[in-house]
Amino acid sequence: MSWLPVAVLALMLFGMTLRVAPYEAVLEIGLVALLLVATGLATPWRWPMISAACLFLTNHALALWGTDAPVDIVGAAVFGVALLFLLQLSDLGRGMRRASVGAGVTRSLLARLLVFAVMTLIATTAGMAIARPLSAAVPAVLAPLLATAGALGVVTALALAATGAGRRARAGPSP
Amino acid sequence: MTWRVTPLALSLVTLAGVILSLAVLTARADLFMAAVPLALALGTLAVRAPAPDYAVSYAISSDRLWEGDTVTVTVEVTARSAIPFMELLEPLAAGGAQVSGRPRAVMALRAGQTERWRYDITYPVRGVHDLGTLIVRVRDRWGLCSWERRHVERRRVRVHPRPTPLRSLPRPRRTQTSVGDYVAPVYGEGLEPGDIRQFAPGDRVRQVNWRASLRLGTLYVTQQHRERNADVVLMVDTLAQVGTASTTTLDASVRATSSLATAYLARKDRVGLIVYGGLIDWVRPGSGRPHHERLADALLRADVVFTYVAKDLKLVPPRVLPSHAFVIAVTPLLDRRFTQAVLDLVARGFDLAVLVVSPVELLRAALSAAPVDQLACRLWTLERRARLAEIRRHGLPVVEWNPAQSLEAAVTGLDRRRYRAMAAR
Repeated sequence: MSWLPVAVLALMLFGMTLRVAPYEAVLEIGLVALLLVATGLATPWRWPMISAACLFLTNHALALWGTDAPVDIVGAAVFGVALLFLLQLSDLGRGMRRASVGAGVTRSLLARLLVFAVMTLIATTAGMAIARPLSAAVPAVLAPLLATAGALGVVTALALAATGAGRRARAGPSP
Repeated sequence: MTWRVTPLALSLVTLAGVILSLAVLTARADLFMAAVPLALALGTLAVRAPAPDYAVSYAISSDRLWEGDTVTVTVEVTARSAIPFMELLEPLAAGGAQVSGRPRAVMALRAGQTERWRYDITYPVRGVHDLGTLIVRVRDRWGLCSWERRHVERRRVRVHPRPTPLRSLPRPRRTQTSVGDYVAPVYGEGLEPGDIRQFAPGDRVRQVNWRASLRLGTLYVTQQHRERNADVVLMVDTLAQVGTASTTTLDASVRATSSLATAYLARKDRVGLIVYGGLIDWVRPGSGRPHHERLADALLRADVVFTYVAKDLKLVPPRVLPSHAFVIAVTPLLDRRFTQAVLDLVARGFDLAVLVVSPVELLRAALSAAPVDQLACRLWTLERRARLAEIRRHGLPVVEWNPAQSLEAAVTGLDRRRYRAMAAR
């Protein structure tokens, strides 16, 4: 039954985008993404699930941009959490396939996901509280530049965190 | 223990990059927020979590099995620190098949908690199998990094050929000095009555044959035959084999040898073994349960080792092949060197019988029903029949055994052939 939460999350992502822009193009892209999720669940490959996540995301971004929908911070955070859980659960599901699953696995997993969702909500609210007064201080001309630089900085920092951790592990003594 | 970033973490980095690029391109502030959960999860990588602390113990229900038996593997994991997600995998070597349980296990443990993983493996064919190599992978709570370790706690499982119970066995012509089940021609203490003779000082009163004594007017005693054991040497041909991977003539020979050894040991005989092939291996005649295990271990090692070197039985020490021993050769008769060795033993005056494992039937079962294959099998059968007749002309009792049929019937036939050969001599 490890496929069930993944399927629910995929449908949720599909539904959220369709709610923003109920157009045929959005529906078609969403259906392709769902097909990729189904492929990812049926096969041991990782790439269909990552492609589906990218497709859901692009579809959602295009839907928001095309309809010029009002900014929904909580909705965006929920979308991000759903994307993250989709990838995490599909990865764990792959690990649990044809395996004898211990009694505490599902319980501890649910508890962790719940804690993470709450943490994200708190972080998003805190982020918004800080961003609101700061945005008033930034000149409108510099805003796109700052956004681009911030995005680049975050991606670089995340990539460094991932690769640097690996390098440290290779260099350091084994525990 | 190897620490590494999982592919999931790299996927999340990619996805975060895509989200932020889309957010900049579409100038949507809410898309930035969609990247927050991913950034939060990936941020945990910056702080390296301590390695998980746990202990793994590996146990098997038995280290000696018969063919087709099942061994239960129990893996016990005790966590000293909390383990959010642990994967266990034991790669199974060829020869074994999992019959119950799963090939992998996933568990989540709190600190101090113990969890067990059980599964059963069956081994259909004899052999020595190594177990106890586990691959343990522990993931952190978000699945972004993992610690991998190969846990080796080697356990060796010996799968012995399953012996067929045999009620009638070829009877050795010569007996030894120890007590056994065979009635010896010599007189002494025993149960089987023999000749009668006049009473002599030292004879016991209970040996007096009162009927003969009254009739003849003087005391007569009944003599008894002694019951003695015999030395039986089983000689297995490992020069060549045919058949499919699961059933070869060597497997059938080893099964037959194991059955014969078990049956003779149950009769208190001393049983020895010569594995005659590319490498000559032997076990001195002996009796008892430890000796049975010694024979079983030697039979496990029996394998075809290719060589052009003609082996000579002169290499075998006389203690392994005593002059009064009854030798039973088990062979598919595929290599002429074995026939030569058997004829050499006959020339040296050994009491000998040959059980020929039929390779034709084994191969026929593996082949298709194509007329050419069947014709080839028939021709081979004729050729082998001619060869067996040639060996019988040397006065050797030979019986062919089809492994698909009863060994008992073949063994009974072997005894009949021996008496016929003796009468002909």
